[in-house]
Amino acid sequence: MLALGFTLIFGVLRRANLAYGPAIMFGAYAATWTSMNFQAGLLILAVVTIAAAVLAGAYVERLCFAPHRKGPAAAAMVASFALWMQFEELATLALPNHLYAFPALYEGGPLELGRFTVRIDALLILLATVVVCGLLWWILYRTRFGVAVRAVIDDPKAAGLAGIGVPRVFMLVFALASAIGGLAGFLIAGSQEQVTPMLGMWSTLKGMVAMMLGGLGSLPGAVAGGLALGLIEAHAGWFLGPQLRDFLVYLLLFVLLALRPPWMNTRSVS
Amino acid sequence: MLSVRDLVTAYGKIEALKGVSLEVAPGSITCLLGPNGAGKTTLMMTIAGVLRPKRGSVRFLDEDLAGLAPDAIVKRGIALVPENRLGFPSMSVLENLQAGAYQRRDPIEEDIERIFRRFPPLKARSAQQAGTLSGGEQQMLAVGRALMSRPKLLLMDEPSLGLAPLVVEEIFRTVAELHRDGTTIFLVEQNAHMALKVAQHFFLMEQGRVSFSGDPGSLAEDEVIRRAYLGSSR
Repeated sequence: MLALGFTLIFGVLRRANLAYGPAIMFGAYAATWTSMNFQAGLLILAVVTIAAAVLAGAYVERLCFAPHRKGPAAAAMVASFALWMQFEELATLALPNHLYAFPALYEGGPLELGRFTVRIDALLILLATVVVCGLLWWILYRTRFGVAVRAVIDDPKAAGLAGIGVPRVFMLVFALASAIGGLAGFLIAGSQEQVTPMLGMWSTLKGMVAMMLGGLGSLPGAVAGGLALGLIEAHAGWFLGPQLRDFLVYLLLFVLLALRPPWMNTRSVS
Repeated sequence: MLSVRDLVTAYGKIEALKGVSLEVAPGSITCLLGPNGAGKTTLMMTIAGVLRPKRGSVRFLDEDLAGLAPDAIVKRGIALVPENRLGFPSMSVLENLQAGAYQRRDPIEEDIERIFRRFPPLKARSAQQAGTLSGGEQQMLAVGRALMSRPKLLLMDEPSLGLAPLVVEEIFRTVAELHRDGTTIFLVEQNAHMALKVAQHFFLMEQGRVSFSGDPGSLAEDEVIRRAYLGSSR
């Protein structure tokens, strides 16, 4: 799901948004703060996370991507890196401890299926991913807005000439991607039952690596990449231990960048 | 209907349009001829809002369009069939047409039917990806997409470029039909012979300026062709 949001932005704007994860972290912190100061149920916390992530995402779009639409891709990326720092500072100023508890997604024990045990929250995340994928597919392939988004992906200039308000589409895509990211952030925080400022970097990294695994800018690829990354991590965690697991993600990123497999050159989101 | 005054458009410091003035009369087919690099495409892109002019005005139905975004200009009734049939190759033919009607809120099914009647090959390939069409079919699609916004003024940038002679004739037949149905057309062409046959008025452009303006009969065709391809200075 992290990869979906990251890919959506990359596919439409052809720009890597490094502040993607930190915007999600901002959302998760907003929810943590809410749960510390008010009595709030999970549903309200989910809404707070998504709303704050969308707000932060819109802020990133206005400040980093709207002004650098025509300039070099690196300009927007560097600008988004600056906002990454900003979000991390903001989070540590508001909640100065390194680690905060986040309400659990599901309190009960795991589900026993014969020899297998399945965590309910993991099941919930899987279910949510399937629903989000379906919803996103429906938006992109069955609505007027989806036609506009895919037109902008194919050719922003031709899209403008067809009467599509390209800046508006950029803004809405950013909001949509941030909402998906916010939901992902909520589910992650809820299943780990904690938030740290590292969630930002972690989310950007996971989103980026999963996107690269599945092919740059391809949405079905992002889903496949996310699943593949999950499998690789689970196996690495089992065989190599949790310390080496995160190391493996970086190693994977390095290998992908060094080898550049052919599917990474794909362009279309369809 | 369209009145361009002293239009200057620059790429950085290089002025591609050095003060262009011309008129397109309502209900006419007006043609713009000139050698490569004269600024014809730059003029079209400036009218359509893709490029921002440095100076001058573009008035359309008594409203200044200079500086408006492309989608705002489509909304006011101008559609451009861009050079090289720029479109959405990964989307289906039908979706390309739907994208062309993005500004509209009323039902578009009838328009799609009309375009399919005009260009039967598009109907046969309506579910096919636009990128897999032949050059002629892509040109039909580009025209169809522009028509979906129901423009009052249709700008066409070299619609015959790179097409087989038979397809070129078909495109010009379409231009004449659209004109008969009441659309004003402003056409950039390299094919001076075909263009002069359909146009009521033409302009010659050279090095960023309009160098001649007249009716098709007002200048011998071979002279027009010579200047359209080579420019008068050479």
